[in-house]
Amino acid sequence: MSSKYGGYTGKFLDIDLSTGEVRDYDISDQLREDYLGSKGLATRILYDTVPKGADPLGPDNVLIVNTGPLVGSGAPCTSRFNVSTKSPLTGGVLSSNCGGNFGLNLKKAGLDGILLRGKAERPTWISIEDGEVELKDASELWGLDTEQTQEKLPKGTGKIVIGPGGENAVRYACIISQERAAGRGGAGAVMGSKNVKAVTAKGKAKVPVAKPEKFKADVKKWIHILQTHPATGEMMPSFGTAVFVNPCNETNTLPTHNFKRGKFADADAVSGETLADTLLTRNFGCTSCVIKCGRRVMVEGKDVKGPEYETLGLLGPNLENADLAKICEWNYKADLMGVDTISLGNTLGFAMELTEKGMLDSPLAFGKTEGVSQMIEDIAYRRGLGDDLAEGVKRMSEKYGGKDFAMHAKGMEFASYEPRGAVGHGLGYAVSNRGGCHIGGGYMIYLEAIGPLVMDPLTTRAKPQLTALMQILLDALSDAGSCQFTAFTAVPKQALALQPSGFLYRILAKSLEFFGPAVSLMLRYPQALAIVPPMELLQHPKAISDLTGMKLTFGKYIMAGQRTYLIERMFNLREGITGAQDTLPRRSLEELQTSDPRSRVPLSKMLPGYYRVRGLDRCGEPTRETLDRLGVRA
Amino acid sequence: MPTVKFFATLRQVAGAREVQMEAGTVKELLDRLSAEYEGRMDRYLKISTVLVNGKNVVHMKGKRTKLKKDDEVSIFPPLGGG
Repeated sequence: MSSKYGGYTGKFLDIDLSTGEVRDYDISDQLREDYLGSKGLATRILYDTVPKGADPLGPDNVLIVNTGPLVGSGAPCTSRFNVSTKSPLTGGVLSSNCGGNFGLNLKKAGLDGILLRGKAERPTWISIEDGEVELKDASELWGLDTEQTQEKLPKGTGKIVIGPGGENAVRYACIISQERAAGRGGAGAVMGSKNVKAVTAKGKAKVPVAKPEKFKADVKKWIHILQTHPATGEMMPSFGTAVFVNPCNETNTLPTHNFKRGKFADADAVSGETLADTLLTRNFGCTSCVIKCGRRVMVEGKDVKGPEYETLGLLGPNLENADLAKICEWNYKADLMGVDTISLGNTLGFAMELTEKGMLDSPLAFGKTEGVSQMIEDIAYRRGLGDDLAEGVKRMSEKYGGKDFAMHAKGMEFASYEPRGAVGHGLGYAVSNRGGCHIGGGYMIYLEAIGPLVMDPLTTRAKPQLTALMQILLDALSDAGSCQFTAFTAVPKQALALQPSGFLYRILAKSLEFFGPAVSLMLRYPQALAIVPPMELLQHPKAISDLTGMKLTFGKYIMAGQRTYLIERMFNLREGITGAQDTLPRRSLEELQTSDPRSRVPLSKMLPGYYRVRGLDRCGEPTRETLDRLGVRA
Repeated sequence: MPTVKFFATLRQVAGAREVQMEAGTVKELLDRLSAEYEGRMDRYLKISTVLVNGKNVVHMKGKRTKLKKDDEVSIFPPLGGG
């Protein structure tokens, strides 16, 4: 089945690993209009194909690997792919977005995506070349780490692989492409459960473009905007995501001692600035990236990928660890083993606090680096105590106690932002469908603490509405196949000329608290936003319109993001994950972070407003009216 | 006197993690920094976030925010992360 729209190859393959049968998975252009691609479209397919109650690690679960229309088009920062599946960590919906080189090569191979179902009889490597699929024996690859596996696979192909973590069903095992990870929620374990060690893709297909001249001009302008914006043109290339360590520390949002505090005395020792001064060898980017946020560092004389902000925070301050070299070493090891560093840092921190409180007998302790490297391996191979840690924080708390300080939402461990320092970010963790995730939660930290335009981080005013809006914009961005970091230009460089400490900026920041009704209105009647915004204001809808030939107004763009959240929600509800799970651990809700009586997440104050703006009922379920209005079929 | 902590590119321009600088208000401090570094910092100071003891001056009195001798002032340019 082909597509009338540019940006899509129009081909999506359904691969049954149990039988070896390969079929076309039909996707209508209506679905492309509704969900664009990537996360949204994959979640719709997931909802339609995974039976209720399916074991995430059983043959009934499916693993979708797909792309958005921008991938392979030449648009900047779009060498991305999405993986969607039922998560073995949360039992709910999972999407994970990743850079590397696979997305681009999948498109070149003539495919928008693949769906894997069933289970291969023996270890398998799926080779895709110009749309042709071959299931190959991967017995010799099984047991290898992610680096060794990629080295053994043919050069010139895009690759996704799993490591021992995925083979041994670590609930937060990831999928690796080059050195990038589809990190969260255990997609690597699902791939391992299907006996799939790797997928490679190559080909010569070109992405069709509906309006070539206009799109070419869009791309040129977009690159210019990214390269001249202070955040994406200067700070990210210079310091990478690691540059967030110090500002988070200064604003009490850096998780420290298993999220007990938001400030670490030695934060500077593990900051992006220190990394740049000491271990950094160079920066790098994914194919088609103009930001180049990636870091390279030396670990034991080897030039390897450096840690991202999330990893620095959770393997550093969260463990009271100020040894930057150790973090780089553990990050490299976790990547080789194929386990998510965010969940890893949380699980280690939780185990350390359990040990500190005498609830667990383990050699792990805050501030002690000995034994951590070994523990990462033990987790990946499920040896000894590592077998428990491989289950994640939620299941550990069910076994050992400590639910009050088990820092997760819906079973997914928190990202590296302490929510009591930014309460809207806390709301995001609670209502994110995939669990305690900063991206799924709307990344409110950027509007509350560390972005160029910030509101009072502890007020609840407008937080429900802005959280919903941010989630929707990030979902739409993912659906299109773009890197989330292209969103940093949302505050135009011209606005920065107002001076963040100046009078006009103060008025603007304060006025955000009164945006609630306007955002509610916008999300209730998105179709009224019937214009395609100019590139200078928002780059994605215009570029997608010229690429695909759809007239993607701002309203339609928003509606794609809204549908994505709703279909995720429907998936979770079918699995019994209800509004009751839109919550946070007691530490976040009740323990004060500082002497400020507002320094905890007042979730019950924000949740009703959030449900209203999302068109959910009091129990957090989409109303019939909302589903009909947005055309989401249950 | 207040301690000024520099982050990201500002640290590179200053050549120091922090300095101590006499100033009664944020505006006075920014003016002094501009003079001290002979305009090399101006480009960043104009677009940077300023915190006093961890609180963004946007939510205080902006550039008119008063400084006390033990205050910690953190300055960082617009960032991306995540």
